[in-house]
Amino acid sequence: MKFSYNWIRELVPGLKMDVATLAQQITMKTAECEGVHDPGAFPGASVAAVARAENSEPDSIIEIDNKSLTNRPDLWGHLGMAREVAAIVGLSVVDPVGELPLAVADGDLSITIENANLCARFSGQRVENVKVAPSPLWMQYRLNSLGVNPINNLVDVTNYVLCELGQPMHAYDADLLGDAIVVRAARKGESILALNGEKYALSEEDIVIADAQKPVGIAGIIGGNDTAIRETTKRIVLEAASFPAAHVRKSSSRLKLRTDASMRFEKGQDPENTVRALARAVELLKQISPGSQAAQPVDVYARKSTPPTIQLDIDWAERKLGRKLSTDDVINIFKALAFGVEQAGTRKLVLTVPSWRATKDISIPEDLVEEIGRMVGYASIVPQAPAVPAAPTARNPDHEQHSAVRATMVGQGFTEVSNYSFISDAEADMFGYPPEKLLQVANPIIAEQKYMRPALLPGIRRNLADNSRFFADFRLFEIGRIYGKGGDGAPVERTHLAAAIYGRETNGANLLEMKRVAQYLAPGSNVAPVKGQSKTMHPERAAHVEVGGRQVGHLYELHPGLLDRGRAAILYLDLDTLQGLPAQRQNYRPLRRFPTSSFDLSIVAGERDLVADLESKLRQFAGESLVSLQFLLIFPLPPGKKSVSFRLTVGAEDRTLTADEVTGIREGVVNGIKSSGYELRE
Amino acid sequence: MTNPIQTIKDLTQSALGDINAASTLADLEKVRVAVLGRKGELAGISKTFGSMAPEDRARAGQLLNEAKATLEKSLEDRKHMLESSESDQRFQAEWIDLSVPPQGIAPGHIHPVTQVQDEIEQLFISMGFRVLDGPEVETDYFNFDALNIPADHPARDMQDTFWMTDGHLLRTHTSPVQIRALKKYGAPIRMIAPGRVFRNEEVDASHEHTFYQVEGMMVDRDVSVSHLIYFMQTLLSSVFGRKVTVRLRPGYFPFVEPGFELDIQCLICGGNGCAVCKQSGWVELLPCGLVHPNVISNCGLDPQEWNGFAFGLGLTRLAMMRYAIDDIRLLQSGDLRFLNQF
Repeated sequence: MKFSYNWIRELVPGLKMDVATLAQQITMKTAECEGVHDPGAFPGASVAAVARAENSEPDSIIEIDNKSLTNRPDLWGHLGMAREVAAIVGLSVVDPVGELPLAVADGDLSITIENANLCARFSGQRVENVKVAPSPLWMQYRLNSLGVNPINNLVDVTNYVLCELGQPMHAYDADLLGDAIVVRAARKGESILALNGEKYALSEEDIVIADAQKPVGIAGIIGGNDTAIRETTKRIVLEAASFPAAHVRKSSSRLKLRTDASMRFEKGQDPENTVRALARAVELLKQISPGSQAAQPVDVYARKSTPPTIQLDIDWAERKLGRKLSTDDVINIFKALAFGVEQAGTRKLVLTVPSWRATKDISIPEDLVEEIGRMVGYASIVPQAPAVPAAPTARNPDHEQHSAVRATMVGQGFTEVSNYSFISDAEADMFGYPPEKLLQVANPIIAEQKYMRPALLPGIRRNLADNSRFFADFRLFEIGRIYGKGGDGAPVERTHLAAAIYGRETNGANLLEMKRVAQYLAPGSNVAPVKGQSKTMHPERAAHVEVGGRQVGHLYELHPGLLDRGRAAILYLDLDTLQGLPAQRQNYRPLRRFPTSSFDLSIVAGERDLVADLESKLRQFAGESLVSLQFLLIFPLPPGKKSVSFRLTVGAEDRTLTADEVTGIREGVVNGIKSSGYELRE
Repeated sequence: MTNPIQTIKDLTQSALGDINAASTLADLEKVRVAVLGRKGELAGISKTFGSMAPEDRARAGQLLNEAKATLEKSLEDRKHMLESSESDQRFQAEWIDLSVPPQGIAPGHIHPVTQVQDEIEQLFISMGFRVLDGPEVETDYFNFDALNIPADHPARDMQDTFWMTDGHLLRTHTSPVQIRALKKYGAPIRMIAPGRVFRNEEVDASHEHTFYQVEGMMVDRDVSVSHLIYFMQTLLSSVFGRKVTVRLRPGYFPFVEPGFELDIQCLICGGNGCAVCKQSGWVELLPCGLVHPNVISNCGLDPQEWNGFAFGLGLTRLAMMRYAIDDIRLLQSGDLRFLNQF
């Protein structure tokens, strides 16, 4: 939103503050100023030439961030900003609107509001004997510098009033407009050719201004082309009305049409402003279309609200701000901001909200705290620690788990990555995720954002492919949310860990290294080989990761088809499942007091017999004398066999085993192994 | 017949010479055996004492003991010296070049946003704030309505939203966790909620559809703006590692009233004006304010009794400021050339 410094000075006589200081003051007390600049170039005349011609000083434009005006409909016109400035610097504002003419509900215009919920007030006025011509230079210059294109004197007047009072207006060619104006909901199938040349199909949720035949304008947004001002226009009807913010916003976003009018109405305009705007426009028309004759304004005020009053307890406001407040200071602040002030006790006030602040802005005592705070200046508040009970802070076990996992992973050489929560159609297909089970984005900007990821793997695969261009070997991991649908269809989120060891030349040799990492992360976990299922796993290089018999994830080689080059070992854990498992805590075992004995065995087994199966056989046959079982080595024996060597350590709790006993145990194991169909290498 | 006393003295002198001359532990041992051994020279002298007068014998015996002690001490000293010189030589030979890069896996790296998040979590935990999480796939009730942003509120325009086909949305801020926390734990409460948020917009060097925020809220009796400023100053001084000057100015956010934009005095120029702060001396850092009474009552609490402050800090932005990262896309790129720098 652009403001003219000169215009503000006209409305606040005696304002001496330079524009840079003023902009800074507005930022600190009202709304964010984004910058101050010269008025833009003016077609056909230089800024300086216009200023000379008008015998005025060159203007400066103060640019205010629209976002910071969201709650201040009154600041969408210069008068509103002038009121703020006057309050800030302690001056008075002059109202550009002169004395208001008497308005009638029933005059030479027939105005009907079908539903007061669709229009609180509609004011119209006929002006006869107008002559379409270019506006005077000063008006063109001012509109142009605020980013409004000058069109002709009649249209420019409505825009000038918009910029001054914040009240959107419209001018119809009275000869093209039917006799009766109706404000109503649009009918199904209606459409309108708008001033911008576009045709809009209307819905029953849109509000229109219509004559007996058809809509002539979309309420609060744009006028129709058929009734627009043209070169030949001789008489006009001026409209200044009040439309409900929510309706205008909804229509504007549905029609994808944002206009200077809709931006103001959707903030909640002051209905008190309609007749004022007509009066101001008529006065301007007298100047720039001499000879014009205005009829009596016709005003239908379908729903008038009384100005709200709010009780303010100054002691309460002190506690909110954390700063002392004198009653006089508070009273002066509200008077300067044009509130009605009534004292209702030594430290209590009853405040009447000005109509232009009452639509959406100020309705509760907390709103008044802001008025006081910004006017006394927040810099006057001294920071202070609250007095609160000393108590241990409740912990977040999930974050503690994530931190611990991160520390482990970093210690094992993994770098943390962070991937998007989205995957594409192609990725869903590549990884075999059934689309009906995925949460789908309704309004993605790009195809990569079609679904919410049901696993971290697609992102990890991208990371592997991207980084393989620069590194031959690397390790990375991600801790992140995955998304799915629960039994009732509601979204479910879980936190997963995915880790990868990539090697351009390793051919899967990293899997056992990854198994070691798994045991760091989940001590006591068991890695149980399975056939690789799904499109993500190498079919012969996959395992479940289990803790206490409960599956918590997978260890596998990424399906080689998913990478153009190189191989990757993947560890994938559901951290939420892991977190939910009972803590594994057991009492210590007394230290062994008697020496133990060890012997080695080499078992000849089939190529694909599991070492884990051999281990469990050895444990079974060694019985309770077994103190430890250590895997030593494996080497292949052609054809289709391998030799696996173990060291068995045996002992007893209460004595040293004799040589005969050890031999006996060894023979028991050897016989057991042989009877299980294996051979022993001597 | 020689005088035994003189013999002891002579022997001591020559033995001391031999001890000091011994250059190896083996030579030293030979000297020890020759002088102090059971069949050594001192032992030989003591055999001659039998023929001496008793008073001479006593004197000679005392002298002999003194000589033994002197020699033993000298032997011990020499032994230590030779031992340490021998180990010195061995150690010399065992020199290792510790400037050689180590074998094995080098440590990995934690994502810069995680690092900043961890720091902030630890700070707030130390000040009695609990760390909470909320879902990223939210309902419009928690993301908007409960935060005093009804369906037709223009504030919804500030935040372009990703919608799910089932009507859910991706949270546009971490503020919904305020609601979830108040509903679940009630008041008083001090909490922060760090996490991932989404805005439906095109990505370029300074815009991302995925980024991180941390929400903070304190609800208690008589929480004031001065408390808010206190926590913000403490937070930012800790984050930037030096005293930070903050200022509040009016800002509009529907879930706070009054609402503020918090600026910090530019850390680059110290407030004098530079390119980073666009010559203003201040950098806009975070929105905050006193929790709107509608938010309090939406959570089933009485706004007459409870009030509080809330703030939202951009973790991504903070990480970018700290490490002077000029392209936001790097953070979600998974590019190890970037991530391995942290």
